[in-house]
Amino acid sequence: MYSYIVRRLAFGGITVFGVSIIVFLIMRIMPGDPLTAIFGPEGMTKLTEAQRQSYMEELGLADPLIVQYLNWIMDIVRGELGRSFFRAESVGEMVLRRGPLTAQIAILSVILSWILGIPVAIISALRPNTAADNTARVISITCLAVPGFWLGMLIVLGLLFGFGYRAPQTAGGAGLFEDPGTVLQIIIGPAFVLALGQAAYIARMARSSLLEVIREDYVRTARAKGLNGRLVVSLHALPNALLPVITLSGILLGFVLAGSIPVERAFGTPGLGYAMFTAVNERDIFVMQNLVFLYAVVFVMLNITVDIIIAWIDPRIRYQ
Amino acid sequence: MAEIDHQAELTRAGANVSGHWSRLLFYMRQHPLGAIGAVIVIVFVFSAVFADVLAPHDPLHTSAPDSLKAPDTTFVMGADMMGRDVLSRIIHGARISLTVGVASILLGGVIGIVIGLMSGYLLGWFDLLMQRLIDIMQALPLLVLALVMAASLGPSLENTIIAISIPLVPNVARVVRSSTLSLREMPFVEAARAAGMSELRVAVRHVLPNTLAPLIVLFTAQLGAAILVEASLSFLGLGVPEPHPSWGRMLSESAAEYVRVAPWLVIFPGIAISLAVFGTNLFGDAVRDILDPRQRS
Repeated sequence: MYSYIVRRLAFGGITVFGVSIIVFLIMRIMPGDPLTAIFGPEGMTKLTEAQRQSYMEELGLADPLIVQYLNWIMDIVRGELGRSFFRAESVGEMVLRRGPLTAQIAILSVILSWILGIPVAIISALRPNTAADNTARVISITCLAVPGFWLGMLIVLGLLFGFGYRAPQTAGGAGLFEDPGTVLQIIIGPAFVLALGQAAYIARMARSSLLEVIREDYVRTARAKGLNGRLVVSLHALPNALLPVITLSGILLGFVLAGSIPVERAFGTPGLGYAMFTAVNERDIFVMQNLVFLYAVVFVMLNITVDIIIAWIDPRIRYQ
Repeated sequence: MAEIDHQAELTRAGANVSGHWSRLLFYMRQHPLGAIGAVIVIVFVFSAVFADVLAPHDPLHTSAPDSLKAPDTTFVMGADMMGRDVLSRIIHGARISLTVGVASILLGGVIGIVIGLMSGYLLGWFDLLMQRLIDIMQALPLLVLALVMAASLGPSLENTIIAISIPLVPNVARVVRSSTLSLREMPFVEAARAAGMSELRVAVRHVLPNTLAPLIVLFTAQLGAAILVEASLSFLGLGVPEPHPSWGRMLSESAAEYVRVAPWLVIFPGIAISLAVFGTNLFGDAVRDILDPRQRS
């Protein structure tokens, strides 16, 4: 088990290192002067060449690429993650301030996706190819097709017109346990929208996995010894069918981070996704590069965690 | 013993169906959802191709007096802030959406096929290098990688296509590589080699065609994703720039300011995106079931 974890971590480390190089290169091939983002196209024309040079040096953009890269890595090691062009706080501080909100949205959305997806999967798998199954399938395909950010806009609009309700724009830095009312109002909308897409995938995966498990001998044995159908499903079939669903859910959690970018914009949620949206529009390369790196680290860590959980639950995988 | 009605069994399996049209009808009856998807896809493609004829107004024509006009008989879906007809912009938006979707899949597909074929064929250090590169690329969700690429390249139609195509490469390369690995040991490939064909010719003429079925399945599955990513990018202010009528950008503009006075600006482009993705996904599922029955869920 330990060698398995160490091996997975080592591979994860290599991947994250590779991501840092690729992200850095993508950010540096950006056409146009990074200073345009700060001074605007008009301000740029007023800058003298000497001024431009000194600003570039101040920001460390005049150094050779390899020096810039090493500086960035040192920044990451120190936990500062560099500075925004426009704001005083370091990216590290911003992640600490905004990150928890997005993390709560992501976790709540996973919980909601299981609550929505698993019952649907059970109904579909127990009565495959019936009207209920087909309805579930159409609904899940619809959930995958509707863009989350649009649904978010509709929800915001609907609440505003229907009930004159607006979710609070900020919790004033309070956490979920200090001010649960306000925080829940902020995160429930984005979490619900992000949960729908995941629930569709989960329902699909759990359905096919259940259909396979139900055919197994031990399920037939359980039925044959007279266990009632409900217990056969909940005690014998479901636990074994959920393994691939756990893997999928972990991967989807990573995609939620990406999905939160447009969805947080639609809801106006002050989380990391919104920060990414702002950075992209301001062409703030330092913030972008660090946030993307952070996404990659979280994504890789999630994959490793899921693999370890699966190996822990299912010894067959551990010893492969 | 139960009597087996051979004729009925053959009909059910579609074995005695002859001719293209009756085969199509057979598939449509087997996959009613896929047929609905196909109809939506056809409408989508039709409006993309004939946008100039179908659109009642010029999608770029601005007129101050019509600004934010509610839906009526002239502007069926209302007009936007600059007095442009929303319906015409949505019809032309299908062209942008489809162009970006198809072009990025083809571009990503070609790059992925080349990498996958070379990986599976050459093996060795090239394969190792490419596998690591693919791992790295897959450590970033599609939208994030596309977002960074689009931000880095700058907003334009071509750059959007490139930004969406690159994150699609890993999956294609994986599929082609794994088929190549199993195909290269097949007797017919060995026979071609024994007959004196050059390696390149064997790869292109004998291996590649046999990887096509899973690839077509992958491409149709990716089309919906590519359309969604384009909409998301444009919604975030990247992607296809003005004056092109992109569905995502239409939502982005209306999201900020005019939402309270003109809800139609929010509703119709979103329906267009949802329908297009819904149709391509249904169609893609049916294509998968027909071409690759093993993956059937």
